[in-house]
Amino acid sequence: MPRDTLAMVPDEALLVLYANGDPGAARALTQRLAPRVLAYAVRVLGDRAEAEDVAQEALMRLWRVAPDWRQGEAKVTTWLYRVATNLATDRLRARIRRRSGPLEDAPEPVDPGRGAEAGLIEADRMGALQDALDALPDRQRQAVVLRHLDGLANPEIAQIMEIGVEAVESLTARGKRALSAALEGKKDMLGYGDEH
Amino acid sequence: MSTEHKTPDDRLEAWLSEARATPPAVSDDFMARMLQDALAAQPQASVRLAPPRRSVWMRALAALGGGLGLAGLGSAAMAGLVIGYVQPDPLLSLTDQFGVTTAASVDLLPGFDALLTEDFSQ
Repeated sequence: MPRDTLAMVPDEALLVLYANGDPGAARALTQRLAPRVLAYAVRVLGDRAEAEDVAQEALMRLWRVAPDWRQGEAKVTTWLYRVATNLATDRLRARIRRRSGPLEDAPEPVDPGRGAEAGLIEADRMGALQDALDALPDRQRQAVVLRHLDGLANPEIAQIMEIGVEAVESLTARGKRALSAALEGKKDMLGYGDEH
Repeated sequence: MSTEHKTPDDRLEAWLSEARATPPAVSDDFMARMLQDALAAQPQASVRLAPPRRSVWMRALAALGGGLGLAGLGSAAMAGLVIGYVQPDPLLSLTDQFGVTTAASVDLLPGFDALLTEDFSQ
């Protein structure tokens, strides 16, 4: 099928085309989903190499399930986010286990003086945001990223995280408060001060 | 930054908004690997062959039930012909009871029939 036509096709229909052997559908789905799942994994894990592994594994699972995909049961993106969330959670738990091991296995602590100069460039502001995200508890971070960076609605996040909508609201509210506190602590350094 | 970031909520929203607009970069190498995975794991398109065209005779044979059906039909036809020519006594007595006599039967080949009657009547 021509690429222009595939651009308008929903993910679920593309997955059916993929399962039927259409290479154009494989390309279209990869271009749509790979950057999205990678961005989510990077923000949740704070580590690009691990995030690439998680994104690759999540997509691989989608390709494997494609022939048995049941239309109407779930959105492809919801399913993919759920798989990526579970894989990321496994990685985060493994980190905790490693940290409880010998001291030399512990990761380097984040430099508190990072970006101390005023007028940070945009990349540094994004780095500071990632630091603030990394400081959140895992579930709060997942919920905040899904809600405020990936722009998903609470019911969809509830499906992804396999919790209730109220629990999502609670996680995002607490996460947002923590981010706000982190920002307020260095708003001038990040270029958000009132004097600008 | 700008002066519109008066409240903590404004500042946080500006921070998040900037993050939404600048997602983590995706390398060409990563995309190439993902596409390679997708194509390698993709099921092959199933090729459906058109059913072969069959001749009128083959279709007629199929309508009769194939080779076995044709054999059965041929055997029944031969048995009918033999019974018709031979006209065994038990069958004649049975047809007589129904009021059907051999004299009333159709005699399509009288000369040949007489010859057969001469041979088998003894």
